[in-house]
Amino acid sequence: MLLGGLLVVYVLVPFVVFLSRTGTAGVVAGLSEPGAQTAILNSLLTAPVSTAVATVSGVPLAYVLARRSFPGKRVVESLVVLPLVLPPVVGGAMLLTAVGRFTPIGGAAAAVGIPLTDSLLGVVLAQTFVAAPFVVVTARAGFGAIDERLERASRSLGYGPLATVRNVSLPLARGSILAGVVLTFARAIGEFGATMMVAYNPRTMPTRIWVDFITGGIDEIVPVAVALLVIAVLVLTAVQRVGHVPAVIDR
Amino acid sequence: MILELDAVSHRYDDALAVEDVSFGVDSGALVGVVGPSGCGKTTLVRAIAGHLRPTAGRVRLRGRDVTDDPPESRRIGLVFQDPTLYPHMTVSENVAYGVAARDEGPERRNAVVEKYLELVGLADQRDASPRSLSGGQRRRVELARALAPEPDLLVLDEPLSALDRSLRTRLREEIARLHAETGVATLFVTHDQTDALALADRLVVMTQGRVAAIGAPRELYESPPTPFVASFLGRSTTIRGRLVTASPPRVAVGDAELTPAAAETGESVGATVTCHVRPRDLGVRLDDEGTAPDDSTPPQSLRGEVTAVADAGRRYDVSVAVAADETLVVEQTGAPPSVGESVVVDLPPGAVTLFDSDYEASPTPRRQSAAEAGTPPESRR
Repeated sequence: MLLGGLLVVYVLVPFVVFLSRTGTAGVVAGLSEPGAQTAILNSLLTAPVSTAVATVSGVPLAYVLARRSFPGKRVVESLVVLPLVLPPVVGGAMLLTAVGRFTPIGGAAAAVGIPLTDSLLGVVLAQTFVAAPFVVVTARAGFGAIDERLERASRSLGYGPLATVRNVSLPLARGSILAGVVLTFARAIGEFGATMMVAYNPRTMPTRIWVDFITGGIDEIVPVAVALLVIAVLVLTAVQRVGHVPAVIDR
Repeated sequence: MILELDAVSHRYDDALAVEDVSFGVDSGALVGVVGPSGCGKTTLVRAIAGHLRPTAGRVRLRGRDVTDDPPESRRIGLVFQDPTLYPHMTVSENVAYGVAARDEGPERRNAVVEKYLELVGLADQRDASPRSLSGGQRRRVELARALAPEPDLLVLDEPLSALDRSLRTRLREEIARLHAETGVATLFVTHDQTDALALADRLVVMTQGRVAAIGAPRELYESPPTPFVASFLGRSTTIRGRLVTASPPRVAVGDAELTPAAAETGESVGATVTCHVRPRDLGVRLDDEGTAPDDSTPPQSLRGEVTAVADAGRRYDVSVAVAADETLVVEQTGAPPSVGESVVVDLPPGAVTLFDSDYEASPTPRRQSAAEAGTPPESRR
């Protein structure tokens, strides 16, 4: 109890002190700057795309990891969690060595007019790399919690493997998948380290906050930080409302 | 023949789970597969339903080889030990699920769902969530869901095992009624010999992945082919003796002779053979009462000394040493004799079964004086 309370206070105090540094007038003024608005727009464009990419490919991967055994499964599992243990800056550096402007892939993409670095696409690449593990790990736990006999019953009732996933596994793992999507989105929209390495420009909210900080100090960053916070909270609440499913499935 | 298993074997990595199992289920039959836990029953169910590809052998449904077919093309209704109703669907949606897969029109589908919900007496629960049902109701919805697509074969994998005793008996009767009304060929898999004996027209007794015996339940119960079948299908007490004549067989136990219910035996005269009797068929009386009440045809009897009396609640188990190292267990409902008393054990005609020495199908070839699978030893007094 006491230790838990201590943790809550520890998170709460800096949060309150930070927000109390500036009045609402300062926040509105700060957000009306064109630079801040561009950063917000860029973040609102990239984070949902990254989340969608991570979900569309991460959920099938999670299902396969939860249900099948195959040679090399351990390696795939380690790769999935690798971005979680890697400092984002290092992840970004690794991405640069793969898709940077002077690599074969990055060079070819830039030649046809789709630069993979210092572009919104670069931001998406960085965010997806860092945030995708969240949806894979949570969705995998959700699929794993479903009694396999529910799926076998569906097969015996006349449904193929894909129809069974659609009718049984996905609805039953919905809570876990949504929780993973929320975590992934929160991680993507707050992503800084890897984004800074891959796409310092165009600015997203986190990179803008960094630039504000090194040019103007703590007080400069409050407006965008508040905006980031508000967006994250709004999305989180909205998804939980729409999902109206607890993150833990009760069967 | 609806289902035909032809030498089905399955091996998980190193462990052989099912070995060379062959039997069939006729149209309209209710066949019980019975055996102790871990005897390969569940592996067999998965191979039949197509959730597992057996390493050897063929599975045929209505004469068609389906060994390599996926479960969705097999038309087998499955009911598992634990409920597998879909919590995100209502009762009627659950029942409709398999019917919809057969591509029936919505009107026909509704009629079928209604019919099967009525069959299990749950039509008024059609819009309920499976969570709100009792354990017995859930079981019945599962039966309706498995039956509604009108499968060729209904496979019940330990459907009663998770239920308490009274519910178990009621559901057993329900399964018998559903089978009688729908006439669907049914395979009933259980570790419980009572359920199996009560329900099945034919029994397949399994042990250690192999078939130990196939036959009519009463036949297997009354003249079990192996000691394992004898002890698994009911209480059994065995006694060894020396074969005096082979055809008809007579067995010497101590000073007395027993006449097993068999025309002949493959054993040679002089060999040591094992006889089995049901403890409930035996009678015990004090030795000083003289001869049996009916003098004209004296029953076979063995003299001995009471070595133990165990109180099993509704009955007493009286152990009687009838020869050196040979003890019979007798079930007695009245007041039992005391330990140390000399008694006579009466064996009614036809109560004694003789086993060949072929114990291959038996997991425990050791002699058991009183085997009651799964129950803890009763306290002696």
